[in-house]
Amino acid sequence: MQSISPTSLLVLVPLLPLVGAILTIILGRVLGSRAHLPAIAGIAAAAAAAVTLLLATAGQVGGTSGGHTEPVRPVEMISTLWQWASVDAAYTPPAGSPAAIPGTAVGGQGDARAFSIPVALRLDPLTATMLTIITCVGLLVAIYSVGYMHDDPGYPRFFALVSLFVFSMAMLVAASNFLIVYVFWEAVGACSYLLIGFWFRKPEAARAAKKAFLVNRIGDFGLAIATFLLWMTYGTLDFHDTLSADGTILPGILGQTRLADVSGIVGGTVGTAICLLLLLAACGKSAQLPLHVWLPDAMEGPTPASALIHAATMVTAGIYLITRASPLFVACPGALTMVSIVGATTALVAALIATVQNDLKRVLAYSTISQLGYMFASLGTGTMLGFTAAIFHLVTHAFFKALLFLGAGSVMHAMGGVIDMRRFGGLRRIMPITAATFLIGGLALAGVAPFAGFFSKDEILATIHAKAWPNAHETHHEVAPAGGHAAASQSPFLPVSHRRTTAIGADSGGTTLDALDRPAIWQTLYWMALLTAGLTAFYTFRAIFMTFTGPTRVPDEAGHHAHESPPVMTLPLILLAVPSALAGWWLFSTNWLAHFLSATPSLAAPAVARTAVPHAFHVDLAIQGTLAAAIGIVIAAIGHLGRRSDSPQMERLLGPLQTLFANKFYFDQIYSGLIVKPLEAVAMLAALIDRHLIDGLVNAVALIPVGLGGIVRRMQSGLVQRYALAGVMGVLMIVLALAWQLRG
Amino acid sequence: MMVSSCPISPLLAAGSMPLLHNALIVGAILFALGLVGILTRRNLIVMFLSAELMLQGISVSLVAWSRYHGDWGGQVLVIFVLTVAACEAAVALVFVLQAFARTGRLDAAAWQSLRDESLARTVDRELPASDATPASWPRLSPAGVLPTGGGEDDQQRQHI
Repeated sequence: MQSISPTSLLVLVPLLPLVGAILTIILGRVLGSRAHLPAIAGIAAAAAAAVTLLLATAGQVGGTSGGHTEPVRPVEMISTLWQWASVDAAYTPPAGSPAAIPGTAVGGQGDARAFSIPVALRLDPLTATMLTIITCVGLLVAIYSVGYMHDDPGYPRFFALVSLFVFSMAMLVAASNFLIVYVFWEAVGACSYLLIGFWFRKPEAARAAKKAFLVNRIGDFGLAIATFLLWMTYGTLDFHDTLSADGTILPGILGQTRLADVSGIVGGTVGTAICLLLLLAACGKSAQLPLHVWLPDAMEGPTPASALIHAATMVTAGIYLITRASPLFVACPGALTMVSIVGATTALVAALIATVQNDLKRVLAYSTISQLGYMFASLGTGTMLGFTAAIFHLVTHAFFKALLFLGAGSVMHAMGGVIDMRRFGGLRRIMPITAATFLIGGLALAGVAPFAGFFSKDEILATIHAKAWPNAHETHHEVAPAGGHAAASQSPFLPVSHRRTTAIGADSGGTTLDALDRPAIWQTLYWMALLTAGLTAFYTFRAIFMTFTGPTRVPDEAGHHAHESPPVMTLPLILLAVPSALAGWWLFSTNWLAHFLSATPSLAAPAVARTAVPHAFHVDLAIQGTLAAAIGIVIAAIGHLGRRSDSPQMERLLGPLQTLFANKFYFDQIYSGLIVKPLEAVAMLAALIDRHLIDGLVNAVALIPVGLGGIVRRMQSGLVQRYALAGVMGVLMIVLALAWQLRG
Repeated sequence: MMVSSCPISPLLAAGSMPLLHNALIVGAILFALGLVGILTRRNLIVMFLSAELMLQGISVSLVAWSRYHGDWGGQVLVIFVLTVAACEAAVALVFVLQAFARTGRLDAAAWQSLRDESLARTVDRELPASDATPASWPRLSPAGVLPTGGGEDDQQRQHI
């Protein structure tokens, strides 16, 4: 489509699913069983547009540079749709702060900044990657849902919601303004609520939807406060640079003008506060500790919704946000370390809980939390490798986790709604395609070479290892890696005057959190990550063995359903299995993704780009990772393979630990006791006050006329003559008054 | 309302004050009697009679003023009053007839059911002390049918 410009394509990617959603809402009932057509058409067209944009952006970035790192020119394209809000002269920043307009006189009249929120979309490599993932996985999930939601009375509503979600998520990753991101952050949360509570008449589903929305709101609070702080610190909420009326450049927060200047990003207390609040927002959306409690409950929703939202796209919004704001984080090493600590802890805790789950979807939910924790741990290292490895893992995870979820949905569909693994077994004979694709997904998740997960996990382990043992890598690379503190100044990319990455901005100097950035901490995180890799392999293959191997058992609810799914459901499974198997190897061997992403303005900033290391395959880490995975698979096989798949489980050997894991480390109980119960008590107190005190006051006021009337009512005796007497008395009084007037 | 300045009889002095006073007193007495009658009597026809009496009292006053000021207007108004009184009599007697047809008696106190529900019925069960019955009744030879006693009918005097 040579005639369509990239700007139009960028607008079409969110617009077409929105149009599809609106058409589905309007025409849903009319279309009946064909209600999926507008939504699938919209998402398919958006997917085509997104792939075209990806290729166009890739063409702009240029070829890969093999194993040698060079500073890459950032690639971005801004498309401003309209001005949403604008207030002139809203804020006069202090002189010399990052919020001041460069080039204006200090204290002059023109120093006041306007508050303006343009609806602007930005296309750069990170956005192009995310858009492709969202639309392609969304398309496959929508096709799958045609078969899965076939008999559901809410069929049109489901497709409208999926289409609406794709629109919201696409706008979230394309928006170039923090406030627009916040709007669509909330929008994806609302779509998630509607999809989790899709079968709203089921009380558990309604409760799960409410829980998901409320826990997300805590994260949204963090994002809101962070937005306020960003506005006060930088005077604008745009990512990109804008031109003011008289030609001066107003630097955006993540625009090329500010990022090129090393002192443009504020560190210190304010910067760390902003980063921690962004981390809170990401924890809420990406289900990290302690805001992870909503994701396992969210499995009450339809499985395609779980595959799309809670595996591939919405939960990755947190990863996207931190990657987009990477220059802000790199200026605050303490916040970065917090990100990694949160991520690695979540990964380990979630993996431990997943080992004892009997519900196949719950295993996958905790697995998602664990893999997102991996991505956070990688982001927190603050190096170029860390950021690109996190996005690499995001891409591969989207494919194999969506595959696993859709496979679980296929099993659930065939088993008549039963998903408890102890009630069925040996399904590979009944459902060969599902079994084969599920196995591919499981191998990718466990990190077995040469499947996708192996390479991305290897890169994550490598970046954590580089922070934990900084000297060990000097032998691997020509250039010394420059993590937070540049000890060796031999790299040509480091400035000659050895400077910390914290900016000389409003608050210079580090915060107390920076003390966390020590190799001892990073070594602990590395061992946690390795242990998690082993646990991942264990619980994945435990699930596979319990479901697909052993004697064939089918629960009674299956009835006549116990056969392979129709092609409309197995085709997406096969289409997802291909990238799960090959994408990792292909992206890694060509280093295409890392090179492509390094052209993102956020990652091309000198503060981030100078931490880049040449692309290498770390054989020792690969061995460690594969060993951990192999041990996990072997233990799972001992416990659950074949004949033993329906025998009492080996997890009983864990003893009291098993109760701890099965109760999810008592997080829900702690929240219930600390937060829910006190709030319920306060609510009941408020209800009592409302009912008795306030309503009592109102009722008391209402008693006044009743009392007064009771006095007057006695005059109503029913005797006409008494009424006449009252009238005569009145006349008498008037006459007397008149006479008094005339006399006096 | 000065109808004309045609003088009345020259024999009687127009504007004679004592005549006015006496006539007004008569009119006031008539009016007062009528007022007291309306408020006190329970018979509907007597109540209406009292209302007519009030009207006549007013008419006398009007004639007195007319004579005093030498203005025909007062007496013309009296003609109006008499006419209206006649029409009003027709309407009022229809009303009395309907009331009698509904309750079978001419007692204004028969229409007490429109009172407040917390109030008791106003009854005149208490006979005045002068009508108190002696402790012993004279013994008469039995004659005729014993009167039926009790019930709500006995709470009101049948005929006034």
